[in-house]
Amino acid sequence: MRPEHAFIVAKREYLARLKSKGFWIATALLPAFMGAMILGPALAASRTKAQQRLAIVDETGAGLGRQLAAALTEPGAEIGEQREQRERRERRERDEGSVRFDVQLVPPGPDPAARRAELDRRVRAKEIGAWVWLTTGGLRDNRFEYHAESLSNVVTQEVLRTRISRVVSQWRLHAAGLDAAKIAELTRPVALSTIRISATGSRAEQGIGGFMLAFGLCFTLYMVIVIYGQQVMQGVIEEKSSRIVEVIAAAIRPTELMAGKLAGICLVALTQLAIWVATALVLTTPAILGVLLTLPAGLTLPEVPGAVIVHLFVLFLLGFFLYSTLYAMIGASFNSVQEAQQFAAVAVVFIVPPLLFMMPILNDPDSPLAVGMSLFPFFTPLVMMLRIASKMPSAWQIAAAYSLCLLAIAGMVWLCARVYRVGILMYGKKPTLREIWHWVRYS
Amino acid sequence: MTASLELRDVEKRYGDFVAVAGLSLAVPAGVIFGLLGPNGAGKTTTLRMIMDILAPDSGEILLFGRPRLAGDLRRIGYLPEERGLYRKMTVIDQLLFLAEIHGLKRRQALPVVEDWLARVDLADWGRKKIEELSKGMQQKVQLIGTVLHQPEILILDEPFSGLDPINQGLFKELLLEYRRQGRTILFSTHGMEQAEKLCDHIGLISHGRLVLAGELREIKRQAGGNSYRLEAPATAGDLERVKALPGVEVAIPQEPLDPVDPRLASVRLLLAPGASSSELLRRLVQFLEVREFRSEEPDLEDIFIKAVRDAA
Repeated sequence: MRPEHAFIVAKREYLARLKSKGFWIATALLPAFMGAMILGPALAASRTKAQQRLAIVDETGAGLGRQLAAALTEPGAEIGEQREQRERRERRERDEGSVRFDVQLVPPGPDPAARRAELDRRVRAKEIGAWVWLTTGGLRDNRFEYHAESLSNVVTQEVLRTRISRVVSQWRLHAAGLDAAKIAELTRPVALSTIRISATGSRAEQGIGGFMLAFGLCFTLYMVIVIYGQQVMQGVIEEKSSRIVEVIAAAIRPTELMAGKLAGICLVALTQLAIWVATALVLTTPAILGVLLTLPAGLTLPEVPGAVIVHLFVLFLLGFFLYSTLYAMIGASFNSVQEAQQFAAVAVVFIVPPLLFMMPILNDPDSPLAVGMSLFPFFTPLVMMLRIASKMPSAWQIAAAYSLCLLAIAGMVWLCARVYRVGILMYGKKPTLREIWHWVRYS
Repeated sequence: MTASLELRDVEKRYGDFVAVAGLSLAVPAGVIFGLLGPNGAGKTTTLRMIMDILAPDSGEILLFGRPRLAGDLRRIGYLPEERGLYRKMTVIDQLLFLAEIHGLKRRQALPVVEDWLARVDLADWGRKKIEELSKGMQQKVQLIGTVLHQPEILILDEPFSGLDPINQGLFKELLLEYRRQGRTILFSTHGMEQAEKLCDHIGLISHGRLVLAGELREIKRQAGGNSYRLEAPATAGDLERVKALPGVEVAIPQEPLDPVDPRLASVRLLLAPGASSSELLRRLVQFLEVREFRSEEPDLEDIFIKAVRDAA
């Protein structure tokens, strides 16, 4: 293997890709896409005030229905609300976002069964969205019925549940002889101020900011690894299907071609990553950010230590070489992108599990699940990114994960070089896995 | 004359299939050497082994009179049978890349590239992407890519297949120019006519074996003297009788001479060594109304067919 040959190939790959419009479009689009994904739902939630038309039937005769209607439509109308409470309530409303109720109180009537049937009909006729039946039995058993056509609106149900709980407990306290002001005073909710402890000191942060950072970094890494892995695969197939590979293979070794291709595409990806990181760093300096947008009250951006950025790049390199060798192998084995796509799904099987386990990993970054997954080389890049962004793991775990990953890369490069050498010059029928294994053994 | 290129007892198998079976071949320096054979004879496999794209299972390949060294392949210009270029690259970038992987510096290569583009009328197309070029233009670019680095040996796999007539002429001109400059050219083809016009030396292979090799003139001279052309009105049955006559080794029916009377057959006959032509003619006139019977210089196709038969 002569490095200067690989260098010529790498230079071609790098320049050809940097000159393409696709690279710059992707460079501009991904941050926009990520921003939209993170900010979009929040913006949408704060702007749209969807109304849930709710019928409440109260047969307890204790005035619960009226109190619940008041709590649902005018949550601020809690008696004796203090300023501090109002702020907290406003923040809660922001979190609950879109949930607004339009409540009708419906008397149970002489025939409850007929009333139920009528309410069901009104739901089907879309006159109301749902109905709740407050019964004396339910008050005793702590269970009321909610009827609606769709039950997937878990956020609405959760808001409804907490409001009913509050109204019921207030009613019970009142029944126990406490006055309204006393009740409000005693049932004041408590908030958590979250403070992040890091090597550089403690800092008050909102949990959601740290979550968004970990999610953003992990997702960026995922995108970059998959996109550039696929580019490696397509590049190999292009050379193979256009038959230029034979001209190249006559001048330089296949391993030099492969090494140059991986290095060139890796540099393209690093360039893109560097542009993103630099843009993010510039945009989030307080001076510029202040001009660009007003953050919601109480939301502070998480601090991003330099070490996290260094790890981002290291993890990208590990992930890129682990997966792009796999993609190169797939590309070398098949004659067309269509044929190869089926096998490209294999790579996805390895890269997706960390995304599926993102919540438990972020919730407890030192759990056996998180540590175990981060030590499995194919999961290491994404899982370690999540762990490092949320809570820096111990040095030995990082060292162990990175070493295992390097070992796996060495294995993949060895395997890939053998499959590639034979595969790129094999035309004609689609090889079976057994044939590919023969290439590995006999090349 | 030293051989620029030599194969010694080279063998290549794909599983049970023997693609090249104990092939020994020497290509003298400064000649145009045609590697001839029908499809599937092992020509492409042989050329790929010379280019070290495939490794032979056994045997030796010598370049410039010694075992191949790492840098030797860059002294060769190789045009594979299946051709291709990077579709999204510009013509100049593409050619500079090909020059670079053959060991040229970009700065040295650029004027050479420009000269070549001017020579083949592509000077205005240098900044265009390959995919914008017509097929004929792409063939020219490919040809330039093969010779940019001034190779001492040119190895071309079926260079004339798929070429338009203009590019065929360009190729021939280039091959002759290269020979004048004392370079060596080895090309494979299954088209006998091209080979006959261009080659100094030929090697005929069939089923992975060399069945005939040497200087074309010498081969023809040796085969000459027993090739005859027969013209006579004849039915298919008559032709079968001709083939079966003693002394006739090969009978190759030609295109019908007269479209109005397709029965008027023209047959090339190769006689067995020592067979008498007058004896043959005496037998022919017994059942055919012979219009013409004359001695002819054998063409390569006849020689090839005979050689394959002899080998079998």
